[in-house]
Amino acid sequence: MLELKQIGYWYDREENSLFKNVDLTFETGHSYAIVGQSGSGKTTLLSLIAGLEKPKAGEIILNGQLLSQIGLTKYRQKKVSIVFQSYNLLTYMSPLNNLLTAMAVTKSTHEGDKTYAREMLRKLGLTDEQMTKNVQRLSGGQQQRVAIARTMCCDAKLVVADEPTGNLDEENTQEVIQLFQTIAHEQDRCVIIVTHEPDVAAACDYSYRLAHHEFALEK
Amino acid sequence: MNFFKRAWLNLIAKKGRTLLLILVTSAILLFVLAGLLIRNAADAATSNAKKSVGATLTLSANREAAFKKMRASASGDSTSKPEKPSLSLTPVKLADVKQIANLDNVKNYNLLSSTSVNASSFDAISTTTSSAVSANTEDGRGGSKTFADQGDIAISGVSATALTTNFASNGYKIIKGRGILASDANTTNIIVKSELAKQNDLSVGDTIKVKSTSGSQTYSMKIVGIYKAPSTSDTAQMGPGATDPSNTIYSSYTLANTIKGSKYKNTADSVTFNVSDPVKVEAVKKAGTKLISTSKYSLSANDVSYQSVKSSMTNIKSFADKIVWLVAIAGTIILALIIILMIRERRYEIGVLLSLGESRAKIVTQFFVEMFLVLIVAVGIAGAGGQFVGNKLGEQLVAQQTASTASSVQTGGMTRPNAGGQAPGNGNAQAPSGSVGRGGASFMDSSADKTALDVQVTPTNLAELGGFGLAIVFISIVLASGGILRLSPRKVLID
Ligand SMILES: Nc1ncnc2c1ncn2[C@@H]1O[C@H](COP(=O)(O)OP(=O)(O)O)[C@@H](O)[C@H]1O
Ligand SMILES: [Mg+2]
Repeated sequence: MLELKQIGYWYDREENSLFKNVDLTFETGHSYAIVGQSGSGKTTLLSLIAGLEKPKAGEIILNGQLLSQIGLTKYRQKKVSIVFQSYNLLTYMSPLNNLLTAMAVTKSTHEGDKTYAREMLRKLGLTDEQMTKNVQRLSGGQQQRVAIARTMCCDAKLVVADEPTGNLDEENTQEVIQLFQTIAHEQDRCVIIVTHEPDVAAACDYSYRLAHHEFALEK
Repeated sequence: MNFFKRAWLNLIAKKGRTLLLILVTSAILLFVLAGLLIRNAADAATSNAKKSVGATLTLSANREAAFKKMRASASGDSTSKPEKPSLSLTPVKLADVKQIANLDNVKNYNLLSSTSVNASSFDAISTTTSSAVSANTEDGRGGSKTFADQGDIAISGVSATALTTNFASNGYKIIKGRGILASDANTTNIIVKSELAKQNDLSVGDTIKVKSTSGSQTYSMKIVGIYKAPSTSDTAQMGPGATDPSNTIYSSYTLANTIKGSKYKNTADSVTFNVSDPVKVEAVKKAGTKLISTSKYSLSANDVSYQSVKSSMTNIKSFADKIVWLVAIAGTIILALIIILMIRERRYEIGVLLSLGESRAKIVTQFFVEMFLVLIVAVGIAGAGGQFVGNKLGEQLVAQQTASTASSVQTGGMTRPNAGGQAPGNGNAQAPSGSVGRGGASFMDSSADKTALDVQVTPTNLAELGGFGLAIVFISIVLASGGILRLSPRKVLID
């Protein structure tokens, strides 16, 4: 589904490339973990996959189409859904409005469907009262579940997450891991998770390690 | 259209910030509105003043040319003519007057013909001071007649009293009967001053008799009205060497001509043309001058009042313009800084929206909608407050300007009498030498209401204000978000 071809990225100079000539393939129905030391460039790679940044070298191809052809804004709108360590919710809204906003922006098939959004939030353990009060009044775990619900409400087949459990306790981490597996296996999407937690990596179908500027399949 | 909803949710969620934004925006718009209001009011007042002050052209004998001629004949023919050289002024011909009256922008005209007679069936009012004053008075008939020829009653022949400066703007009023009308031509109808009427127990319908200054002729005149002059004008207004202003009788110019003699038929000492648009005075003067013989006649413009109103209004307007600019610039800077700070603080939100795939244009539009809603409320508040502030400022300005206008009119009044030496003052009450002094006074009298700034907040003002606000908001938002949006979404989100 998603192909990385000869991808390279550097910040200041090419000699200091974080990674070079990366060839990776990701398929729907599977979950992938990307692990590696802090500062190795995992987030950077993920931002390329998420269409937040252009690679310095190489091409990213989605279902045979170059990302540069699709256009990064359209790609982010329709093709990819992102979950961040810091949740990245719209802080001036309720969980419900966050979902409805995302559905409207991405023109999801469920656009404007309040009942569907409520159902998603309920499924992820939010009460009706929590759905309509400001999103910042929720706990970290609850906020991350709202972010995941937001992903589930949108149609994007590609779901990327950067340290989604980084701010969560053990219990919430397990729940979030399970949610991502559900998204990959039951909703037939492609899930790519950057993580430094062995538990998360273990739960994924595949695991890549970024070390010495190269990606190696661990599992 | 999701950005509308987001804008609304944002304003609602951050009530404190929204309120502060509304207050700051209102305050800035309030000042801009006050400036706009004063400027508009000054504009309106200027055009009103133009209309109401008006300007006149006076057609009369060319004294300068006549003086030259007199001097030439005095030196040349001094032996053959032992008598005193006389200044011969050619009366204005009615035919010429009609031609000028047909020019564009000439509203109407007033024929003036003055003479003096002696009271016969009644007594003229005499005052001791008046003779001294009358000796100083610029006597229109100058050297043509000696002082002894002056009668004690001044006859001011006019087309209609309503057209004279005295009745139109100097506060002269008909208190009984009626004024002299155009239809009084070729009649013996007159109006007399209230003091004269009172002393001689005259009333409307009475007939009085006067004698020509040579004593050879007696004329009967019928009183059709009694007029009153404001007490202040008594000293200012001096008849043609008459002993007292109360001895001035108004008649149709034809009656004055009859008394002066048959060769004065269908003539006038001078004619005042009222020009409908003061701006056109010079153009009308130019066109009119082409129609007359300039060696005999002169056509002079009098728009002193108009000029002084114009200059005082121009002062207010330039002051208001400065306020508008100053406040607009200061307001733009303040509002722009606030908006820029506000948007920078929303970098995270921009990043989230970008990561969801929202287009940059729609993000900017959301900010714009938010500020637009704030602006609508602020325009409403500023509109309500602007009425108040504008009124206060307007009052202040008029108070200052009336003072400076008064002094400018005074100087106008002071300088003109000198010019009056050349001006054709054929000894009539309407002569420019006198009328300018009074013209100044008339402007003073009415300046209070003519220059009063009518400060009203109109929908146009509010639209202007809204437009101005929108422009500031638009520029600020584009500047502020431009800085963020040209970054890659990753930089917005992560750095
Ligand atoms: N904007 C930037 N400019 C320069 N260097 C950067 C920038 N962002 C990240 N880096 C560097 O790139 C390296 C990889 O960063 P990152 O992708 O965030 O690593 P990871 O997510 O694996 O911890 C780090 O050494 C970091 O210091
Ligand atoms: Mg990272």
